[in-house]
Amino acid sequence: MVSRSFPQLLTCYNRTAVGSAGCRLFSITPPGRATPQSCAAVERATSPWTLMAAVCLQRLPIITADYSPIEQRFKQMMQQMELEKSLLSDHELRLIEDAERMSRKQANEYDSDEEEGHGDQEIMLAQDLEDTWEQRFRSFQPAPRVRADLDKDLTSVQRCLADSLVLLAEQQVGAEKLWLLPQGAWQEGETLRQTAERALCSVTAAGFKATFLSNAPCGVYKYKLPKAARTESSVGTKMFFFKAILADNAPGTAPNTALLWVKKSELQKYLKPAYMMKVDHFILSL
Amino acid sequence: MSVVVYLKKFQPKKKRDKTQMKQIVSATDTAYGTLNVKVSGYDMTVVEHYSQYIHNLCNRLGIQVAESYALPTKSTEVMLMQEQGNKMYVDAVLKTHQRVVQLSSLNTSLCPVFVDVLLKNQPEGVQLSVKEHTEADFQARFKARPELEGLIAQINQ
Repeated sequence: MVSRSFPQLLTCYNRTAVGSAGCRLFSITPPGRATPQSCAAVERATSPWTLMAAVCLQRLPIITADYSPIEQRFKQMMQQMELEKSLLSDHELRLIEDAERMSRKQANEYDSDEEEGHGDQEIMLAQDLEDTWEQRFRSFQPAPRVRADLDKDLTSVQRCLADSLVLLAEQQVGAEKLWLLPQGAWQEGETLRQTAERALCSVTAAGFKATFLSNAPCGVYKYKLPKAARTESSVGTKMFFFKAILADNAPGTAPNTALLWVKKSELQKYLKPAYMMKVDHFILSL
Repeated sequence: MSVVVYLKKFQPKKKRDKTQMKQIVSATDTAYGTLNVKVSGYDMTVVEHYSQYIHNLCNRLGIQVAESYALPTKSTEVMLMQEQGNKMYVDAVLKTHQRVVQLSSLNTSLCPVFVDVLLKNQPEGVQLSVKEHTEADFQARFKARPELEGLIAQINQ
């Protein structure tokens, strides 16, 4: 179901993905590329911004969302239209033939010479086949779609199977503990995506199998340190977000920090407002 | 009164060219090369509608679509053991339909957005796979010609 705000979302993504992150990314090339020049001492331009990478790990929905009332009515109408326009299938034709043959048998007009071709079909009537199928269908017990107890447990990855969930971790930032997307600081000699992968492993330590969608970040958040804490070398932090999809649902080991799986609507309760504004742009609520 | 006569130039009948493969675009630093987005599933209407959706989405996002084709349908027979006896009987025939949307190049910055939208809109019962296009994939679309291969083998012997 593509929501009505999709075109607006599209323009948003183009801006954040291409505009802000594009130029910065190219300056972080692996140091192996730099040609050693003895005469001009090439100093890496040190910028006053600390670089960090965060990972937006999403668990995709497992079951389809429930239909809204209008969708239900439309679905029923479409199904009825299709049924009325359709032709009879082989099985249905057989059913009709068998029913006619039974009625002719009962009316004592049955001439076994005429009905030669149907010898083997007498053994298993189409109606019997339907009955056996119906029985097998009734004996099948599907798993429950919604489990109220799991839905309320925010730490479980099996909650809210119809929505996509985002992973939040409680991390120490400066002096306080905040709920944020798992993040880590960038180190020399690695790409930002590797930083994000490292952040996911170290912060959660839960062995999540994640597939990163691209080498390019999907969003950026920058903040300046309060005036008192600013120095020559650190004015603030630039944080780049990378999207990843959870590959399998069973967590291997127990995590060492508090982790939450939240829907987009619940994010507001846990994230700071300025941070939330930037994160809101790239998390799709489809 | 002047009369103007037009004479058509005689053109020899053109022989149909052998189907050439479109050039495979190779990946650069900022964009992926030729990619195959393959959609497969048992329900043909859902698979076709989803591949149409992907094609339309690419047009809207400005991603160049090189080709959009279907691979042959694969039939799988589900055989069950009979309750009394050792014989297997055919329970159902499942047909797997496959549709491929070939993209000529995909920007790395657009890639996470595009793939995320595809994954979030994926219908149930449909598998999605994104892979690089190879020459082997192109050759797999052609039917094998056993007589021709036999003759070539005879010539080579």
